[in-house]
Amino acid sequence: MRLTRGAGLAMLLRSFAVQASWNYRTLIGTGFCFVLLPVLRAVYGGGEHLHDAVRRHSGIFNSHPYLVGIAAGAVARLEAEGAEPQLVERFKSAVRGSLGSLGDRLVWAGWRPVCALLGVAGALAGASWWLAALLFLVLYNAGHLVIRVGAFQLGLRYGRNVAEHLRTLPLDRVQRSLWHAGAFLVGVLAPLVAAGELLADRLPIAWIFAGAVATAVGVRFGTAVRLPAVVVLMLGVVVAYALGGA
Amino acid sequence: MTGWILLALVGAMVAIDGTSFPQVMISRPLVSGALGGLVFGRPLEGAVVGVILEVYHVGTLPIGAARHPEGGTAACAAAGGLAVAGLPAAAPEVLVTVLLALLWERFTGRTVDLGRRLNERIVQVWRPGPDPGRELERRHLAAAGVDGVRGMVVTVSGALTTFLAVRLAAAWPAESTVAAAALGIAGAAVLGGTLGVFGGWREKGRTFLLGVACGLILLAVT
Repeated sequence: MRLTRGAGLAMLLRSFAVQASWNYRTLIGTGFCFVLLPVLRAVYGGGEHLHDAVRRHSGIFNSHPYLVGIAAGAVARLEAEGAEPQLVERFKSAVRGSLGSLGDRLVWAGWRPVCALLGVAGALAGASWWLAALLFLVLYNAGHLVIRVGAFQLGLRYGRNVAEHLRTLPLDRVQRSLWHAGAFLVGVLAPLVAAGELLADRLPIAWIFAGAVATAVGVRFGTAVRLPAVVVLMLGVVVAYALGGA
Repeated sequence: MTGWILLALVGAMVAIDGTSFPQVMISRPLVSGALGGLVFGRPLEGAVVGVILEVYHVGTLPIGAARHPEGGTAACAAAGGLAVAGLPAAAPEVLVTVLLALLWERFTGRTVDLGRRLNERIVQVWRPGPDPGRELERRHLAAAGVDGVRGMVVTVSGALTTFLAVRLAAAWPAESTVAAAALGIAGAAVLGGTLGVFGGWREKGRTFLLGVACGLILLAVT
């Protein structure tokens, strides 16, 4: 049978809720089946066949939520073509790990932090609160939607051969560019944050120097500085209120 | 009362957006903080808290089944609490608010973990029925509903805690420069740590230094 445009659109819309029942046992397995249901209903109608299909597709599955369309589109095409369940399962097992790591690198560790840093930069540069938030939301979601829609188109067009096509895309180059942009923005923001621009109030030079040293410590130790930073805030509260009362 | 009801609804939306639906990132502190303040008519104060908390969250990556603090609802709660207290976004008040948010988000992160375990039960019980698809849809969306209720509870309780703490702290005088410096130093350290997300010093050191040079120029001209 041929997949209708309506079924494809329904799958795309459902993919926004693919993680609604995220759990440690099946990960996004139930969500994956939720996305596929319009196609499964069209292919199997109802009764025992639909029940079997729902059971098969609600097992363990994982993917980055924005890239789930690659797998869902390809599986929908396989189901519509009447592929053997074992073949569909093999395909799902083959793609689930790689779609997760690809999305993590491109979106969670690339696009999202870059957009967030741009939003913060906008706020520190003096943009109004709504403009900084809007800049982040519009920019981020432009990329978000392109990825989600593109993922479905790839899956539906290339079916089980989608992995080969993915290898031809310049994804490594995109990731490298995002990382350059991110590193640059961290560099731009570091002096501003150290100088007290988060509160739009320039600090005395000694404190700015301390902030510069803190930046260097952060660069050296990475995200491990998060907890010590909270300790610094606690000390700040104690000292600020102790000196205020003196 | 209307403000608190609105805050609960925003908290639910923020919590659901974090994982369940639709992940358009209103759950980022940058946005949820401003929303928390906006509910009580003080978006600017909320945005200040949100921007600071965003710096702490840029390097937090929700990879795989990693457990991490939930910054969205915590930022919304903290910003709401500061806004309803009616205090200006001065350094001591913001410091107390940010610190509370960073502690609260660890607790809300635990509730996310509990929610995921509850989801196991929600989707595990599987009884064949006349329409298995409908049953799956019902359970899947029920899990999102539970997430929303969780968001309401942690946001409102977090805002109430922040409100009380900030009001209490405001009764004492505080040294503003020290408070601002603590925010600057801690923020700079966390921001520096974020470089690791983009390949670290070895890979992106030059790009980072180029950015630092631009940042210094910006500081000099503003």
